[in-house]
Amino acid sequence: MKRLSIALIIFGLVFLTSCKLQKEGLVIMTDSSYKASIFATNKTGFGSPDGLVWRNGKLYLANEGSNALEVWSKTDGLKRLADSRLGILSPEDLVIDANNNIFFTDDDAGGLWEFTADGTPRQVAGKDKGLISTEGLALAPDGSLLVGDGEQHEVFRVTRDGKVSEFLGKEFGITKPESMVFDDKGNLYIADNEDNILYLLDANHTLHRLIERRDSFSPETIFFSKGSLYITDSRDGKLYVYNPSEELKTIAAFGGQLKNVQGITVDDGGNIYLTVQTDLKHNAGDIIEISKESSAIAQR
Amino acid sequence: MPAGIIFFSILISLAGRLADLNEQLMLLVNSVAGRSWLFDNVVAFFQDNDLAKAGVIGCCFLAAWYGGKSTDSTNARRRILITTLIAAVCVITTTKVLSHTIFLPRPEIQSQKIYRLEGDQLVAMKRIPVRIPLDETSQKDYRALLSGDVDTNDLGSFPSDHAGFFIAISVGIWLASRRLGWLALAWTFLVIIFAGKLIGAHHTPLDIVAGAAVAVGELAVIQYVVRKRFSGWLDKLSGLTVRYGALSSALVFLVAFEVSSTMIHIRAFLGLLAAMRRHVLLGMG
Repeated sequence: MKRLSIALIIFGLVFLTSCKLQKEGLVIMTDSSYKASIFATNKTGFGSPDGLVWRNGKLYLANEGSNALEVWSKTDGLKRLADSRLGILSPEDLVIDANNNIFFTDDDAGGLWEFTADGTPRQVAGKDKGLISTEGLALAPDGSLLVGDGEQHEVFRVTRDGKVSEFLGKEFGITKPESMVFDDKGNLYIADNEDNILYLLDANHTLHRLIERRDSFSPETIFFSKGSLYITDSRDGKLYVYNPSEELKTIAAFGGQLKNVQGITVDDGGNIYLTVQTDLKHNAGDIIEISKESSAIAQR
Repeated sequence: MPAGIIFFSILISLAGRLADLNEQLMLLVNSVAGRSWLFDNVVAFFQDNDLAKAGVIGCCFLAAWYGGKSTDSTNARRRILITTLIAAVCVITTTKVLSHTIFLPRPEIQSQKIYRLEGDQLVAMKRIPVRIPLDETSQKDYRALLSGDVDTNDLGSFPSDHAGFFIAISVGIWLASRRLGWLALAWTFLVIIFAGKLIGAHHTPLDIVAGAAVAVGELAVIQYVVRKRFSGWLDKLSGLTVRYGALSSALVFLVAFEVSSTMIHIRAFLGLLAAMRRHVLLGMG
């Protein structure tokens, strides 16, 4: 009887594992013209990244889990540019200007930070200038930086020499400017993942609510590329694409340990890269690549 | 050692065959869906309408509760039914915990292009050619799936909590009264499981079998433990239901009502308590 019980238990375990019943992650492609693959894992050396930017074959990471700004390339591997020794705590979002200066925000340490093209890390403006919990970051056409603050519910303009002024005050009603990006026409998109609204600030400084009160929509990070706005939703585990002439469209849905999709960037070939914080507490994360399937496979 | 390896490889091959059989059976049952608007709507009615779906089970429960021919037999039935309710709560808790731990999307989700994380790779899953019923709810859910709206609950289909819960209640009724029990079991298997869960491909036969195994196993253990260890309390409780007939009738009505609606109102109430805890005690938004 005892042996029979043990055999039954072993059989049950084997059956469960053969059915792939372990707790896993999955990606559902709602747009079947795309395919998904793991681009990089913790084995590369990064922890649990949030924001990321693709530039000239290199991937720049605001690594929230490791409290560091890092860069990864196929030839050089992972390289740390700045870390907690500088005073940063949770790098959140980043942008890179035309001269390869990297700017990033930090929602715990606050402030706006820079890693200059010649390799010097510095704080552009800190908490003392009113940047308490910095989230979204956008490079304005005039060269200044727009910084969203989640605690003060405002967007600030910060010049390269560290002067801070109000860009969008509390009266605009943006609760958490989590991510911001300019399009090719000079409009500013703002993602508020607390009120679950996607805003558009036009050239006349008028704020429009583009997408709001929609089930399963909480914009986390936005990225503009070739006429399309790509949006991640960490609450619902979604990747969207938005075109002004079309409706919001879901490209993929993420489940299990891949649900927490955070940062997003697109390379020159149109491939989309997403950071996934699989376990921020234990500093674990992945980078997923979403790319176009070859036309024959997509049709099939 | 070689005998162990042979035994293990036989087990793996057997498990693989069972998985194939499970899929084939599911597709066979599902093959009747999506062909007739009338048929799919009749099936959907029994799935969506609580009165049609589980009202019969609630009625059987009430009939078993009041159906004893003498005070002793009524007491005996009530002891079984009270224990059954305890077991049903345990069963739904167990199946919910298991389905949140074991990662197996519903077959209708597996009809889409899905990549599953295996180690450090995303591997394309085999697409299951599921037929979608033509009723409004199924079509709406399918459109939502195509636009990426996937309910977290749909990612863990193993084991079936519905099957577990209703089988536990029906077997409990069967223990109290054979005739009513057969009726409840037949309704559970034909209407709730076969029509409601298998035709629409919400579950595979394996999910149902696992749910049933949890239900029968836990019901047997709880009936045994309660009889052996808590028989005094159980006697007292069943005696009280006879003594305070009006009050116990009101309570048993509530129980039958909740059984008929798969405890949806209690779950909503627990959800409210959890939200209140988050808002008031932890101060989260």
